[in-house]
Amino acid sequence: MASSPPRRFARRAPSKVNPDRFVDIRVTDMTAGDALWWDRKFGPHHARDRKRADRFWAWSVLLPMCHLVQLAKRRFCRPLVIWTRADNRRFVRAGMSILIDDYPHLDITDPSQSNFLWFISAGDSAVLTKELEVSDPPSLGRVLLDCAVVLSENSGFGGRIGLHAARQGGQRLLDFYVKCGLANLSQGTDLPPLVTRKNDGRFFYAGVSAAARLAALLDPDR
Amino acid sequence: MSEFRHLDTTEPAQMGTVAEAVVRLSTFSERQILDLVSGGQLGELFPFRPKAQTLPPDSVAEEDLEEASTLPMTRDQKAALIQSSMPSSSASVRNNRLADALAWQEEVLRSADEDSHR
Repeated sequence: MASSPPRRFARRAPSKVNPDRFVDIRVTDMTAGDALWWDRKFGPHHARDRKRADRFWAWSVLLPMCHLVQLAKRRFCRPLVIWTRADNRRFVRAGMSILIDDYPHLDITDPSQSNFLWFISAGDSAVLTKELEVSDPPSLGRVLLDCAVVLSENSGFGGRIGLHAARQGGQRLLDFYVKCGLANLSQGTDLPPLVTRKNDGRFFYAGVSAAARLAALLDPDR
Repeated sequence: MSEFRHLDTTEPAQMGTVAEAVVRLSTFSERQILDLVSGGQLGELFPFRPKAQTLPPDSVAEEDLEEASTLPMTRDQKAALIQSSMPSSSASVRNNRLADALAWQEEVLRSADEDSHR
């Protein structure tokens, strides 16, 4: 039986303006230049938005820090940039993520490895439209999760992913991850010993089945 | 340490300080780091910022975008990715990014090993 080819990243995402319409996106590896650009273009706008969990994230500092901290833990970070097509047909940065490869799966009833989504951020739509000539900004939440699922699947982790919803994201962020089909580990549920001792109820994961459902949703867009 | 310094990867003293900060941070859980960063404490945790660099262009033509592979990376690919993530400020430093990144990795891993033997 021939094995199926590895899944690709999604190459289009629903428009925020009209979810029935799709916008071209591309995924690249993140460099120091991408992080610096993000800080200059989006940083000041995000910092003013008190609802954003990422308002203080300085990616040009986060990027080397995350790499080095995970190296010290003998792990590897995979930072990605999601680009979207602007009105002039060129591509501009619209999303950022840093995930950790080969991380303990959060669900201790399924002892295995996974990918941990450490930092994810979608650029402010108003900035994309007003300053970067993207009149049709994409909705990137599911795409950011999907990137982690695809990498996990292709690494042999069955698509398993985990994440912690930043406290600053409030209930809104929890609701979003539930809506995406992730399972919540309620407060006090045990976590793998290497993750943390304290579970504040904001950890989420996708096991093999949930990951397959998540990935299948975006398969037409790869 | 609250001072927010410019990072100069050619400066051995700064590399030592970076390694110290990294070793300290590596004792924190990912959740703790996320909470601290989201609370605006990144400068205290990792008190550096890259020196001014030329900002890349806002937009890129599709044919110039190198799409990321979804397959696991080799050791060399990982080293190259880390290299491209490290801040640099001058042409000479940029030319030595790989050496910088590897030196950082060695320094961090050495410090982590020393720490685990204490």
